[in-house]
Amino acid sequence: MRSPATLALLAALALPAHAQLGNPGVTDPATAQARPGMPAAGETNVADRLFLKLAAMGNFGEAEAGRLAIARSSDPRVQAFARQMVEDHSATRGKLESLARERGLPAPAMPQPDQVEAKKRLESLSGTAFNTEYLAVQLADDQKTAHLLEWEINAGQDAAVQQLAKETLPVVLEHLRQVQALIAETSGAPPQGLAAASPAMPANRR
Amino acid sequence: MFKPKALLLCSIAVLAPGAQADPLPPDATYRPPPTQPFSEVKRMDEQQKAAVMQRQAALLGERYDLADRPLPGVMMSGGRKPVQGGARVKLAAGMSWDRLASLGPEEIRERDLLPQGFRPLPHVKQATGGQVFPQRQIDVIASLEQRDLRRFDVDMDLPDHLTPEFPPPIFLTTHPELGDVSRGQALTLRNFYEIMNGIITPVQMEGLRLLLTPFPQEEFNQTEDRKVAAPSMGVACLDCHTNFHTNAAFHLTPDVRPQSARFRLDTNSLRGLFNQQIHGSKRSLRSVEDFTEFEQRTAYFNGDHVSATRKGVHLPDRPNQVAMMAQMQNIIDFPPAPKLDVTGRLIPEKASAQELAGERIFNGKGRCAECHAAPDFLDNRMHDLKLERFYKVGKTVNDQVALPDGPIKTFTLRGIKDSPPYLHDGRLPTLADTVEFFNLVLGLKLSQEEKDALHAYLLTL
Repeated sequence: MRSPATLALLAALALPAHAQLGNPGVTDPATAQARPGMPAAGETNVADRLFLKLAAMGNFGEAEAGRLAIARSSDPRVQAFARQMVEDHSATRGKLESLARERGLPAPAMPQPDQVEAKKRLESLSGTAFNTEYLAVQLADDQKTAHLLEWEINAGQDAAVQQLAKETLPVVLEHLRQVQALIAETSGAPPQGLAAASPAMPANRR
Repeated sequence: MFKPKALLLCSIAVLAPGAQADPLPPDATYRPPPTQPFSEVKRMDEQQKAAVMQRQAALLGERYDLADRPLPGVMMSGGRKPVQGGARVKLAAGMSWDRLASLGPEEIRERDLLPQGFRPLPHVKQATGGQVFPQRQIDVIASLEQRDLRRFDVDMDLPDHLTPEFPPPIFLTTHPELGDVSRGQALTLRNFYEIMNGIITPVQMEGLRLLLTPFPQEEFNQTEDRKVAAPSMGVACLDCHTNFHTNAAFHLTPDVRPQSARFRLDTNSLRGLFNQQIHGSKRSLRSVEDFTEFEQRTAYFNGDHVSATRKGVHLPDRPNQVAMMAQMQNIIDFPPAPKLDVTGRLIPEKASAQELAGERIFNGKGRCAECHAAPDFLDNRMHDLKLERFYKVGKTVNDQVALPDGPIKTFTLRGIKDSPPYLHDGRLPTLADTVEFFNLVLGLKLSQEEKDALHAYLLTL
């Protein structure tokens, strides 16, 4: 039997870094392949294209909501979280836009329809009611974003797009943990989800 | 190649009406339909297979010491395979088990010190998933039934010496005097009648026949969306649960979506099912009848009844077929444990001082008996070990996203030395690994002597 080190080396030689080994049974027949079953660089499928669009919109909406929370929230914990959201989502925006541009695809600079509605609601609120609603919206957004990323990791086929999803997922799950912890802190309810397993941590210690 | 037609597709979300428009993709729950002719899929899968197996071998090699190192003189119940010794999960350089166990979950999580082998184990090919059988099972079914269980896209990833003995012995509650009734054979549709004639009832015999009858399954069927070369009659229940035990065949949990988040499921033994009140690692089905009936929706078709309808689902008749299948399963006994008395406690005259010390730890400091209570060594509950206290979730390894497992059914520890690998996904190769795992997860702070005693005790069960 080959040693693990040799096997690791063979694996590294055989595959582009981080490429998914997908199910050829569900690949687009028009996909150009680098080798059998392995799509060539930049070869998107429906999932990749839909992901780039939905992720760009969701990302835009979360950054927008964050800016609103910085301006409107009176709670320094919520403001700190919102600043972190704006910072992280601005960084992701650049990556999404460049992946989309390279592929001749749109990366819409507009929020999701439900985020538009949420923003309208938030603009009519202030004080504790604003904080509560902002955190509730962020909770749902982070849950949906995590699912979207997990979906792309499997359903996509463009290695670079999938790699962005893989890199972003732990960050989004950390956002989810933070918002769960903040909801617990601000409402007095026990922490849920990831916040239940590990206590809150300042955003700058991530 | 760029695809401007994607613009058309992308306009859908913009036009979607209403405030509650959900940004999740439309087919995230369901299995995607096949897009390519079978011959093309098979060609690509076969050419990709070496890379798939190499990637998984590299992962296993990084995580575990896979060497063949049996415990001297300790055999599985049928006497066909030795039990492997030593903790096989690898520690980071400079780390020791005691030092690791002295750290708190927060520190282990922050410093990323949880051994990789304690984390979720990906399917050999997560993107496709599905049932994967060991070579011995493939060989037996090919030889006796001329039925092909070999996939063209993946093989079993674990070495044979880290899996259960094959074929496993069969012990019947209705005939304790006979001991192993398997005659050293794996039960198949070709030999079951000859082996069981006269020692089981007509109802049990019919149940056994059904448990050995192949039915269409996600990867083994007649459609182009299969992973076996020729159109297949399917798989049988006992293709994974060989002789009502396990052969270490695995698949992905039918109970989680999306695909990248599904965890691997190691086949568990059906021995002692008569005293088990909940079934399925996640589903908590309340009777073996429910489980037997619903496995056609889950183990066979990944919890996707839509896909099942397309490929040919088998829906066993509840009073006439399910009941008989259940009655057969309910007469499968545990292997003998000659050092245990009728209440499941060690008989002091028969046990060593170390085994007796291990029993005390099992019931006391080790806290094992809180879930694994004698005489069946299970509590008919699900528990959440909250392993995510120890690592940052969301990392993708071999296309699987590591996420919290949540509550999982307690498995019996009777005959546990016969059923490696351990934990619901088979991430722990040996019993020594399980001792280290629970020592850390439960914060037990056992000494090496105590861990060795506990290990010695587990071998008596």
